[in-house]
Amino acid sequence: MLYCPVCYEETAKSDFESLATHFLSDSLKNDGKHVSWLNRNISKLKLNNDELSKQLMNFYHVGNDGIKMWIIRDFIQLFRGVNPHPFILGMQEYDVPLLKGYVVEHHHFLKQWIRSCSYAMAKTDLTEVHDYEIENIVTEMHGYGSNAPSHHELLIRMGESLGLERKEILDSKPLKGTQEAIKIWQKIASEKSTMEIMSAMHSLELIANRDLQRYGAKYPYFNPEMLKSPAVSDEVKNFLREGYEADVSHSYQALSIIQEHCNPDNILDIQSAYLVSSRAFFTFLESRIERGEMYKNQQ
Amino acid sequence: MKEVRCIKTNNEKGCGLCDATWGEYYREIDGDRMFFCCNICADIFENMVKEVKERTGWDSIDYIELIGNYSKGRECTAKSGDRTYKYYFRTYSDGRMMSFEGRN
Repeated sequence: MLYCPVCYEETAKSDFESLATHFLSDSLKNDGKHVSWLNRNISKLKLNNDELSKQLMNFYHVGNDGIKMWIIRDFIQLFRGVNPHPFILGMQEYDVPLLKGYVVEHHHFLKQWIRSCSYAMAKTDLTEVHDYEIENIVTEMHGYGSNAPSHHELLIRMGESLGLERKEILDSKPLKGTQEAIKIWQKIASEKSTMEIMSAMHSLELIANRDLQRYGAKYPYFNPEMLKSPAVSDEVKNFLREGYEADVSHSYQALSIIQEHCNPDNILDIQSAYLVSSRAFFTFLESRIERGEMYKNQQ
Repeated sequence: MKEVRCIKTNNEKGCGLCDATWGEYYREIDGDRMFFCCNICADIFENMVKEVKERTGWDSIDYIELIGNYSKGRECTAKSGDRTYKYYFRTYSDGRMMSFEGRN
C-alpha cells in the first residue's frame, strides 16, 4: 500500500496518480506540511497531476542497489546533505545548551525506542530480528553491567556533567514536537509489520553513522574535535563516542535485514513507514534545538 | 499571476518567502494581499515583518531581499525609503521563530 509520506493516509488506489491527486486536493494544496514536502523532495515549481505523478514515481524508484541504498540516499539528503538539519549544524560546535536539549528530549526518544523495538520483535518469528532487537534494547536501555552502562545512562551522565539534575531529566515532559513524533512512532509500532517498524526506527540510526561521508554526506553528526577537546567533559565524550562508534554496524545491519525481506508486496509499505518516521525525526531534532534555546534563555 | 503588493521581495516567481509556485495562499500583510505557497510561509513572513518593524520602528517596508533557506536560515536586507536593515533569521518547521539576529 502507498501512503501519503506526510499524513500517512492511504492513497485511493495505491498508485502515484492517487498520491498526486491527494497532494493537489483543495484541502491540502495550501497546507504547509504537504507543500513543504513537495518543495524539499520534488520541486519548488508547481506541477500538474500527470507531471507530479511521474516525479513521485521517480522519487520512490528503488534502483538495483535496493531499498537499503534508497533509504541511505534519502536520509543523507534530509539530514546531512548540502542543506543539513539545523541540529546537525548546531552540533558542529560545542554548545552546552544544545547538548542539554539533546539530553532531555532524547531521554523520551529512548523510551519510545525500546517500545518500538519490542513491537518489531513481537510480530515476527525471525531469529535474526530477535537477536538484533534484544541486543539493541539491552545496549540502549539496560546496559551490560557497571563497566558498560546503557546509552540511556551515558546520556543522563552527560546531562549531569552539563549541570542538569538526574531527576529533572527523568521527570521532564517532552516538548510538543517530540510528543508528536512519539505518537507517530507508536502508531507505526502498534499497527505496522516488523519490516515497516524496523525501517521506521533503525533508519534513524544513520544520523550518527560516520561512514555516510562515502555516500555523499557533507556533515558529520558532530564535530569530532569535541572528542579531543579539554573543554568537553569526559561524560559528554563518552556519550558521543558510544553512538559514533556503535551506529555504523547497527544501522547497516538493520537495513540489510530489511533489504533481505523486502519484496514487491511490501516495498511501498516499507518506504512509507520510513518516510513518515524520518520526517517525524526531523521535527524531533527541532525539539532538541527548542529545548536548548529554553536553556540558553535561562542563562 | 502574482498580485501587486507593497512589500516586494527578490522572490519574483512565486511565494514571497521561498519562491515556490505551489499553492494558492494569499494573506494580507501591511494592507496588501501577498501570495504564498502555504500557510506556514505566510506565518513566517508575517512574523518576520513584525519583528523587523519592532526592531527598526519603521511604519512600512518597501522591499526585502532574502538569501538562504530553511536549513541554514536566511540572511536578509529590508529597505524602507532610503533606510536599510540587515538581519538573519531561522524558523522551526511549523513557522515559529527559532532565532532572529540584527546584522547592522
